[in-house]
Amino acid sequence: MKRYHDIVGDGGSGVLEQVAEQRTRITDGLAGVRHLVAVGSGKGGVGKSTLTLHLAGALRARGLRIAILDADFNGPSQARMAGVQGALFVPGSHKVALPRTRNGIGVFSMGSLIPESEALEFESVAHGESHTWRATREFSLLGEILGAFEWGALDLLMFDLPPGAERTVQYADFLGPRTSFLLVTIPSEVARAVVARSVAALSKGPNRLLGYVENMSGYYCRDCNAIKPLFVSPEPSGLEIPCLGTVPFDPELARLCDTGIPLAELPDTPVGRALEHVAQQLLDVLESTTEPPR
Amino acid sequence: MKFLCVPCDSPMKLQTMAPPEGGSLSVVYSCPECGYEMAMLTNPFETQLVQSLGVRIGPDASSTEGTSAAGTSCPFAAMMPAVEGAPPDQDGEPIPVRWTSGAEARLANIPAFVRPMARTGIERFARERGSLEVDEKTLDAARDFFGM
Repeated sequence: MKRYHDIVGDGGSGVLEQVAEQRTRITDGLAGVRHLVAVGSGKGGVGKSTLTLHLAGALRARGLRIAILDADFNGPSQARMAGVQGALFVPGSHKVALPRTRNGIGVFSMGSLIPESEALEFESVAHGESHTWRATREFSLLGEILGAFEWGALDLLMFDLPPGAERTVQYADFLGPRTSFLLVTIPSEVARAVVARSVAALSKGPNRLLGYVENMSGYYCRDCNAIKPLFVSPEPSGLEIPCLGTVPFDPELARLCDTGIPLAELPDTPVGRALEHVAQQLLDVLESTTEPPR
Repeated sequence: MKFLCVPCDSPMKLQTMAPPEGGSLSVVYSCPECGYEMAMLTNPFETQLVQSLGVRIGPDASSTEGTSAAGTSCPFAAMMPAVEGAPPDQDGEPIPVRWTSGAEARLANIPAFVRPMARTGIERFARERGSLEVDEKTLDAARDFFGM
């Protein structure tokens, strides 16, 4: 009796072929992108989205062509922070033009499509069983977005990932070995432990781990014009990947994020200088380890 | 998934597929050797899993609009009333904006989940410029205006 691999095709639907076509559309769509960088952590609430946007802003100010894909479909924040909540989606000849921030960063965020008062819902025929299919559907949606928008010629496409160490690895699998990872932690043992799990999991795969950024590394007191500790006992992180920099918490930065004002309009402050330093470190590590553009 | 006619040791071929009903797909396969037919009846979880892959089930993936298992409908259509609809005129009636066939074709090329927002936004863009028609020039003008 014939076995599975003895039979060519699948009887008519070509499901595997369709999945392969999806992957081809994604690969073709990203052919003009020089660097793919996923900003993840594993831990939630450490400032992945804030760092993603402001690193993008710092790099954009140096003349780089940058886009952000907010891959946190269930908690999208880039639309508000980047000021593209009411963005216009304009059909091109075959794909959709990417909404842009005032400083020219292309941004896709589900927050541009769905009001903040609404949760992301998918149509389903398996009511009450979303745990069996939802992650698959979300990755399928990510594929549609990658294949449907005009990413064009970019120096850097940044993926703002959702929390979850296991999700971080799933994104590595889905995005493929071209994508490098930048991890974000804060000076808390709990956060570092979760990030360490992400490092351990990602280290088993082919994706490049560029390093980590320690966010909320103290807070900037405007009254004292000094950085003060935010967490007790800031011991060395123990993460076995390079540290690309530390960024203090600044309430002013949080306010700018809420109102969609880019880094370029942030006054010269410790947090601004820290972000500039991390941006340069990121650029250096990308340029020093990357393959030639495809 | 593949189906094998055991007596003939021959792969069965997909013949027909009924539209989804109650979350179930009815897909008929037949053996090209002996003509024996069998039907695969999916439960809603199986149907949903296939839908979640964003693929179509059917004899011809390029011509199964309306009978496919998945992949083309807006994934969150239930939420679309919140972003669709034209503003009313003085009598409270919606002011229709006409789309030329060329503009409609470009709209049809983009994913279903973006289409309602795109249509609404472009119509607003056209109205703000005193036009009740969207053509390809309108789309290009919008791209230029927003620096895309």
